Amino acid sequence: MTSFYILTKKEYVQMFREFKMIWLPLVFMFLGATQPVVTYYLPSILAALGGNQGITIDPAMLQQDGAQVMAATLGSQFDQLGIMVIVIAMMGIIQSDKANGMLDFILTRPVTVRSYIGGKLVSNFLLVAFSVTIGYFVSYVYANFLFSNMPFFDMMLAIIFYLLWVLFIISFTAMISTIFNGQGVIALISIVSLLVLKMISGLHPIIDLLNPAGMSQQAMLVLITSSVDSHLYGNMLITIIWITLMVMISHYWISGKKYHKD
Amino acid sequence: MKLEIKNITKKFKTKTAVNNFSMIVETGQCVGLIGPNGAGKSTLIKIISDIIYADKGEVLLDGKKISNMKREIGYLPQYPDFFHWMTAKETLFFMGQLSGISKAKLLDEVPAILTKVGLFNEQNEKVQSFSGGMKQRLGIAQTLLHKPSFIVMDEPVSALDPIGRREVLNLIQEIKQETTILLSTHILGDAEEICERFVIMKQGMKIEDTTINKLLTSHNESVVHLEIASLKGHWVQLIEKLPYVKNVEVIGKKAKVTLDNVQKNKDLLIRHAIENNIDIVKFEVGSSDTLEEIFLKMVVSV
Repeated sequence: MTSFYILTKKEYVQMFREFKMIWLPLVFMFLGATQPVVTYYLPSILAALGGNQGITIDPAMLQQDGAQVMAATLGSQFDQLGIMVIVIAMMGIIQSDKANGMLDFILTRPVTVRSYIGGKLVSNFLLVAFSVTIGYFVSYVYANFLFSNMPFFDMMLAIIFYLLWVLFIISFTAMISTIFNGQGVIALISIVSLLVLKMISGLHPIIDLLNPAGMSQQAMLVLITSSVDSHLYGNMLITIIWITLMVMISHYWISGKKYHKD
Repeated sequence: MKLEIKNITKKFKTKTAVNNFSMIVETGQCVGLIGPNGAGKSTLIKIISDIIYADKGEVLLDGKKISNMKREIGYLPQYPDFFHWMTAKETLFFMGQLSGISKAKLLDEVPAILTKVGLFNEQNEKVQSFSGGMKQRLGIAQTLLHKPSFIVMDEPVSALDPIGRREVLNLIQEIKQETTILLSTHILGDAEEICERFVIMKQGMKIEDTTINKLLTSHNESVVHLEIASLKGHWVQLIEKLPYVKNVEVIGKKAKVTLDNVQKNKDLLIRHAIENNIDIVKFEVGSSDTLEEIFLKMVVSV
């Protein structure tokens, strides 16, 4: 039994005991349902709450199809509230072990830093990926029911692209969690950086190519246009390079024992 | 299992925590690392257990770098803190498996070791509910689990109440028979009780490396402790002038008289006292200092 396996297993037991395994999927299911439901009922809500004097709703606005609603689920729900939820769930990923001395303790055993970080990232990524996918499917069901059906293949392709962006979010948060010591600082830096990345995506093709948030853009594009962008592979490759770099920095930081507060 | 610490130096921003520290620990020895707070004990222990890197120097276990010998080391931190959501049993399984022990073997050994440290009845309770002493004992169980040939303990009893302290000291007495131990403490009584050899540290440097007996003999001054029913000032002044009296210290009714040659001159002193009608309550010849006094002298003066 390798230490990677033991550490991964420990993460799952911890997620289970701390109910993360339950609340994280629930949050994403809720986020996934929000977009189609709110979009569908918005006219009724406005009519009921705002009255009808002086307000006209452009009927063209309502002509969204299921794919557009799904794209909005990714862009407006998962990429905003979703990022915050992921960061808050992941901010202690390494910081908590540093704070209570367990990282020191674990590393006095014959455990490599690689299996420690690997165990952390794999277990947490699988949990978040599961949550995001569940939320996405809930969104799919609602969009299908309230709006129109969409090609299943496009939907699958989009979530795969999107999960690469999720992997970046997690490796980035883990790196920040390795380097900084306060949970508040970690959350702030991670949320602000990731939201900025998301905001600058779509401004310029070259920036998009280098921007991991471009993967979220690609996913939305697949949903709306049913075709992939020419920059897709470049974007994918560069995102993977970014992720590798984040993991390497975390590895360097821990194996160089730079996390101690001197 | 021989531990060699060679010229370890570790600097933090402005402070040198450990300064050119060397020592050798032989198999079966129990070494107490003593020093005041801030002497660099914890830093040295962390370097030995490969938690932080030294700026200079190296730590070798049987001639091999310590980072390759982690299986042979058991480490007990100053405040062992485990995952709060794990039970005592799960903690030992987790740490044991990380040390490379198979599950089947752990199933046999964990109950035995929990019994040894007196936590068998609490094995299914969460670490969260444990007291400091219980955590310390769990920590000791964890260090013993993989049968290391060398155990490092950072202040194993300093943070405990008298009962917890006693429990842990007894436990260390027991395990000391089987392994080599290096432990740090600032409480001398503890070190005196467990260890034969002392290494005293001050400001990151080794200032003494000795055994308890040597320490006591080398600091054995020729003194006489006197207690007198009513100490008359003029007699003290009188004996101060005697040729064989080097120094007299008076505290209340007690006087500490340092003599030139105790064996020969103590009789002269007592005779002198009788001649002057001094009412002696107690007359004691012997070592001047307890271990604690010696320690204080060394740490403060050197």
